[in-house]
Amino acid sequence: MPSITEAVPLPWVLTLAGALFCVGLFGALSRRNTVGILLGIELMLNAVNINLVAFWRYLEPNVVAGQTFALFVITVAAAEAAVGLAMIIAIYRARQTVNADEVDSLRG
Amino acid sequence: MTEIIIPPIDWRVAAQLSIIFGWASVLLVIALFVPRSRTRIIGYLAIVGVIVAAVAGIPLWGVNAETFSGMLRLDAYSLTLNWLFLASTAITIALSLDYLPRQGIERSEYYVLVLFATGGMMLLAQGADLIILFLGLELLSIVLYVLTGFAYPRIASEEAGMKYLLIGAFAGGFVVFGIALLYGATGSMNLRAIGETLARQALTPEERTYLLAGAALVVVGFGYKVAMAPFHMWAPDVYEGAPTPVTGLLSVGSKAAGFASLLRFLVEALAGEWQIWAPVLAALAIATLAVGNIGALTQQNVKRMLAYSSIGHAGYILFGVIAAGATDGVAGQRGVESVLLYLIAYTFTNLGAFGVLIALEQRGEAAWDMGDLAGLWNRRPWLAIAMAVCMLSLAGIPPTGGFWGKLYVFTAAWLAGMGWITVIGVIIAAVAAFYYLRIVAQMFMAEPAREAPLPMDRALRVGLTLATLGVLILGFIPTPAIDLVQRVVLGVRG
Amino acid sequence: MPLRQRSVRNAVVSMNSVPLLSVMIWLPALGALVVLALPRQNVAAQRGVSLGAALLALAAAVGVALFFNPAHAGFQLVERVAWVPSWGISYTVSVDGISLWLVVLTAFLTPIALAASWGTVERQERAFHALVLLLASGLFGVFTAQDMLLFYVFFEFTLVPTALLIGIWGGAERRYAAIKFFAYTFSGSVFLLLGIIGLYLLHGQATGVYTFDIATILASLQLGALRLDTGAERLIFGLFFIGFAIKAPIWPFHTWMTTAHAEAPSSGVVDIIGLLIKIGAYGLIRFNVQLFPAAAAWAAPAVGVLAVIGILYAAWIAYQQTDMKRLLAYASVSHVGLIVLGIFALNTQGIAGAVAHMVNSALTTGALFLVVGMLVARRGSRELKAFGGLWKTMPWLGSLTLLLALGSIGLPGLNGFVSEFTVLQGSWRSPGLGWRYTLPAILGVVFAAVYLLHMYRTAFMGETLPELARAPDVRPRELALLIALATPVVVLGLYPNALFGPMQQSVTQIAQGTLPYLASR
Repeated sequence: MPSITEAVPLPWVLTLAGALFCVGLFGALSRRNTVGILLGIELMLNAVNINLVAFWRYLEPNVVAGQTFALFVITVAAAEAAVGLAMIIAIYRARQTVNADEVDSLRG
Repeated sequence: MTEIIIPPIDWRVAAQLSIIFGWASVLLVIALFVPRSRTRIIGYLAIVGVIVAAVAGIPLWGVNAETFSGMLRLDAYSLTLNWLFLASTAITIALSLDYLPRQGIERSEYYVLVLFATGGMMLLAQGADLIILFLGLELLSIVLYVLTGFAYPRIASEEAGMKYLLIGAFAGGFVVFGIALLYGATGSMNLRAIGETLARQALTPEERTYLLAGAALVVVGFGYKVAMAPFHMWAPDVYEGAPTPVTGLLSVGSKAAGFASLLRFLVEALAGEWQIWAPVLAALAIATLAVGNIGALTQQNVKRMLAYSSIGHAGYILFGVIAAGATDGVAGQRGVESVLLYLIAYTFTNLGAFGVLIALEQRGEAAWDMGDLAGLWNRRPWLAIAMAVCMLSLAGIPPTGGFWGKLYVFTAAWLAGMGWITVIGVIIAAVAAFYYLRIVAQMFMAEPAREAPLPMDRALRVGLTLATLGVLILGFIPTPAIDLVQRVVLGVRG
Repeated sequence: MPLRQRSVRNAVVSMNSVPLLSVMIWLPALGALVVLALPRQNVAAQRGVSLGAALLALAAAVGVALFFNPAHAGFQLVERVAWVPSWGISYTVSVDGISLWLVVLTAFLTPIALAASWGTVERQERAFHALVLLLASGLFGVFTAQDMLLFYVFFEFTLVPTALLIGIWGGAERRYAAIKFFAYTFSGSVFLLLGIIGLYLLHGQATGVYTFDIATILASLQLGALRLDTGAERLIFGLFFIGFAIKAPIWPFHTWMTTAHAEAPSSGVVDIIGLLIKIGAYGLIRFNVQLFPAAAAWAAPAVGVLAVIGILYAAWIAYQQTDMKRLLAYASVSHVGLIVLGIFALNTQGIAGAVAHMVNSALTTGALFLVVGMLVARRGSRELKAFGGLWKTMPWLGSLTLLLALGSIGLPGLNGFVSEFTVLQGSWRSPGLGWRYTLPAILGVVFAAVYLLHMYRTAFMGETLPELARAPDVRPRELALLIALATPVVVLGLYPNALFGPMQQSVTQIAQGTLPYLASR
């Protein structure tokens, strides 16, 4: 039985990651809801993780850098989401909205 | 099961970082035992920690070492930047000590967060590995999101924090995707290793695509962080909304740290591709100069004007960054030096300018309109002189630090064979002088709009004096600073 | 590493025991600090200290003039301290025959400007004196700096005090005038900076010695160690030229200057600003002509056209002015045209005449501004038609003004004639210019007589206006100031050699540098 690296060529995985990144990017840019934007950004980071793990597995399986980095990215994403949600809640308390377009008292 | 071997750690490399992070954690605990009315003590303690960390760096001068498997490096470059970050942190805290209670937002976490931000900046300066760069970037950014929104429940501050977070996280996504592609192209995350790989072997076309796409994404991500056009849109809003001392830190520390790591990344990992990235960055530099300075020209709000002006300054620093990668050794050297000197001068100047705004800000009331500066010379002569010195320095008029910074970057860019961007830069500098001068004219030549008492406490005065004196000393006696940055050179290019 | 090499030491390095030039440069700045430390109310002490500092600087300048050896062409009394050694920047000050005159002129006019302002400054007199003194320091620095970067630093250093003097104490349009002044000169100076950086780098790349020292660069250029190709030379010449042309100001860059003159607070300050614009002409000689003789010879006809247009245009506008200060401001622009014409004649007469005319126009125009200031103080208006018949009530002022006006017009026997005649002679003989340029310039000189005498006749002749019937004649202080200014007008007119003697060698040397390029025409 062929190993996974033989059955699925690297470009396929990269294409998947690229597609996921673009979906996330589109979400982040098109969503008006701040929670939605955060979700889009999370998708982008997940695409990165797929990339990192794929490169590690296909190209440098002996060096753990890629794998480690993916762990870091997951951690950082969690921290970012925590801060982001806290801020969304703070704004929601003050303005009763999570819509990015309505949060516009700064303009110039 | 292979045994995990932890290599010995060279603590010299991590000494300053450990002091800052350790002290910040200790302060978090101490803060529990300090009554709310005396929160200011935490601020003083934070300054003490900063000074200790700075002093701890003195015996480290001349050390050129790395640890954590080459992830963290200490060289003259990072040490100089660490000192710069510590200086800007100390001044920022001094400026905040009175500002926070006046705005009713004094909480001990503020000082701890500022220390963590400093740690993030130092990571960016010392990071020799893409992982560390990413970590430093995110640590710095996440802390700054919170600090930007620190004036809760002031809605402008919350909004600015939110905006900064969304844009920052977005930019972080770009950086990290770029890093992944770079890793795919070269099989390494260490900056020097990437540089060596590129110098040693030709990449396959596929790998080359990954490399260039990855580098472009990283530059875009850092472009957001340092507010370089066309990725600058967030900066004016965030700068305006954030509490003023945080704005100072943002405009100074975060920008300097972003440039520090961008420079190291471009020079150590991608020096071989200079022919490709130099023209791109040159175009971005010109765009940044144009956007920043034209934006600043039309502003009536001084805080926003300073935001646009700091975008403009990113353009000048980019001149130095471009020169730093030049294949001609002399020009490259000059480039690195010029970036550092510019950052030093710019840090003191901008902190001074924001310090004056802090002094003007009354309780909960914004005083950032041009009209609020009218006749400051009659109300507070020294405040007006400090602001005038900072404005002249930002405009690049001798004898101030800003002049030497400009002279240095122009010389470096010219040496790197880009006389034409020097010409554009110089012309834009002439235009920019106009809006800085408008502020000076407003302070000295207009009648005061209203007689408002201006509270000035000792810490604010000390911070402001330090920043202004820094600008002037750098202007009159630039030799020590120039000698300092000239020793740095080999560290980053070696 | 070539960048770290120290600049080559000058051939003429003489450290005298007393750094006379530095004393002269920094005394006013020191005086400014002392004045600022004095109590706000003690106006008498402020005036005393500032005047004292200015007089001490004058004494130092006289000392410089005494130590100066007119037989030498090069830089004398050199004082050199390394400033930023790794860049080849040094604090080098010295004088040659050309800068000596401007230094003496500055030292002479500063105390007069200070004394003339007494009583005309309504508020914050302390800061006013301090700024005038700082400006004097900057001017001394500009005229003595022999390091390009030091020159630039002093050049910029003069901007801020001037802008503040105009903007804080000036007339109704003061903010506009101050910003316009600053915007114009600063825009010019960035081109100057670019030229300096360019010359520095080209010199460094060609010789391996990175230095801003003017004497070293001049030697490299003359000995052929640094050969600029024609394009590069013209480019750098052009960058320097833009900077100095705006400062000078050469038509069409003159508009900042007329506003600045008209809005300047007291007449004393105008005299200082009058010195400020001499920096432009001085820079043209020191940098454009001395360093780039070939490009200067190439550009001379075009610059000559600008100069002649300036002479005629400004004279015409001056004639139409009803505001006395503006009239004199345009007269200054016209004088500048003549000075530039003399410089770009590129021969000994032309340049010597130009330097002499800088001195003379600063004296006569400066004195006339003082007169106007006195008139304005008595009448409260700058309009020419508000005056008339002053001769009857103010005989002293009337006669002195006539003398000064005639000196400015160029009556033989007074100082203006000597320098104007020499400039015109130089431009007539110059192969680059010739009679086509000189004849219109002579027409401009005739115009000068028309507008100045028109002003004099309107203000001093005819029927005395009732508002002025009881205006007092000059007070002793005013009389002393006017006599101090009128004395050199007569003396230099009778003994022109006193004016030309010290500068002869330096001017000849500069003019000789251009000979090969003019001969090839």
